[in-house]
Amino acid sequence: MSNPMEQFVIKPLVPLEVGGVDISFTNSALFMVLAVAVSTLLLGVCLRKRSIVPTVAQSIPETLYEFISGLLKENVGVEGLKYFPFIFTLFLFVAFGNLLGLFPYAFTWTSHLTAVGSLSLIALLFNVMIGIKKKKLGWLRTFLPRGIPLALAPLIVPIEMISFLSKPFSLTVRLVANMTVGHIMLKIIAGFVVALGVAGIVPVLFNSAIVCFEIFIALLQAFIYTVLSCIYLGDAIHEH
Amino acid sequence: MPQLDFSVFPSQLFWLCISFFTMLFLMSKIIIPKIAEMINLRKEKIDDYLDSAADFKARSEQALENYHRALKEATDEANLSLQKTKQEMKNLIERKQAELNEELSRQIKEGEQQIRDSKAKAMKQVDAMTEDLAAEIIRKLGFNLSKAEISKAAAVVEKE
Repeated sequence: MSNPMEQFVIKPLVPLEVGGVDISFTNSALFMVLAVAVSTLLLGVCLRKRSIVPTVAQSIPETLYEFISGLLKENVGVEGLKYFPFIFTLFLFVAFGNLLGLFPYAFTWTSHLTAVGSLSLIALLFNVMIGIKKKKLGWLRTFLPRGIPLALAPLIVPIEMISFLSKPFSLTVRLVANMTVGHIMLKIIAGFVVALGVAGIVPVLFNSAIVCFEIFIALLQAFIYTVLSCIYLGDAIHEH
Repeated sequence: MPQLDFSVFPSQLFWLCISFFTMLFLMSKIIIPKIAEMINLRKEKIDDYLDSAADFKARSEQALENYHRALKEATDEANLSLQKTKQEMKNLIERKQAELNEELSRQIKEGEQQIRDSKAKAMKQVDAMTEDLAAEIIRKLGFNLSKAEISKAAAVVEKE
């Protein structure tokens, strides 16, 4: 039985080094690029023929559009629609990262702390930038909410800082853990197929069910990632 | 666990940034405008339709109101004309009635006058006949009285 962790190993495809830093184009990078290419192409194809009365293909991106804008309106408010492209991209990027990873021999970059962590970092920086642009110095109030006596500042500020930094961390860990566990499970059960011979049909059926479930999880986790990003964005924009 | 291998972090961050921002660019410049265009167009069209529907509704209500007003005016006019005609008829009838009454009373009066005249005339004739008859009787009895004397005697008898 092959090692179920083997699927997560990052292999450089095109070695690249700039200023002593290794930025090789890896299998992980390939699937990031694939997520971009596939999602853009799919949506592009769906939007090829457009009309006032939507075609079946056209209704897919439109439903997605309404869905994300509804999410933003609900969690951030109407002013959140300014950041629609960011959230829309975030959702699609993660969703396609998850979904493409489900193909056999594919690599799931959303199961990597470093990759998802980078994405959460981008989202965090985006929130910080919006917060500073919107509230100027008042953004620092994030770490010392209004109405807290100054005497408590030494206690509150570190707590708020931890809570601030734990948001992207929890986002990352949630997604990574879900993806990792799902893929390990698939791999382990797949390992039984050959070992059991004719009875291997049982783990095949079981795995088929799990793949369906994993498709659901892939979309659900992308959704959760997006919703939480929206909520954090709302926190960045509004006073709390 | 390969997931905890942080040596790949620079490469991951680099390629993630490249792919994410490329995707952000593609989405915000190509895909999202394409989707939004149709959705907005549809919304505008629906709003247009709703507006024109509201317009039609207002117009039909206006037309209905106009119709009711015209109907009311016509009814009022008809009532007025009916009233006028009724009044005219009444006046005419009253006038005719009055004329007829007058005519009748005049005729009655004339008739009465005629009766009275005839009666007086008859009475006068009766007087003359009485005198003639009295004169005949007196003459037959063998008296001879003048006509003036008989008239005088008849007048005395009538008085008694």
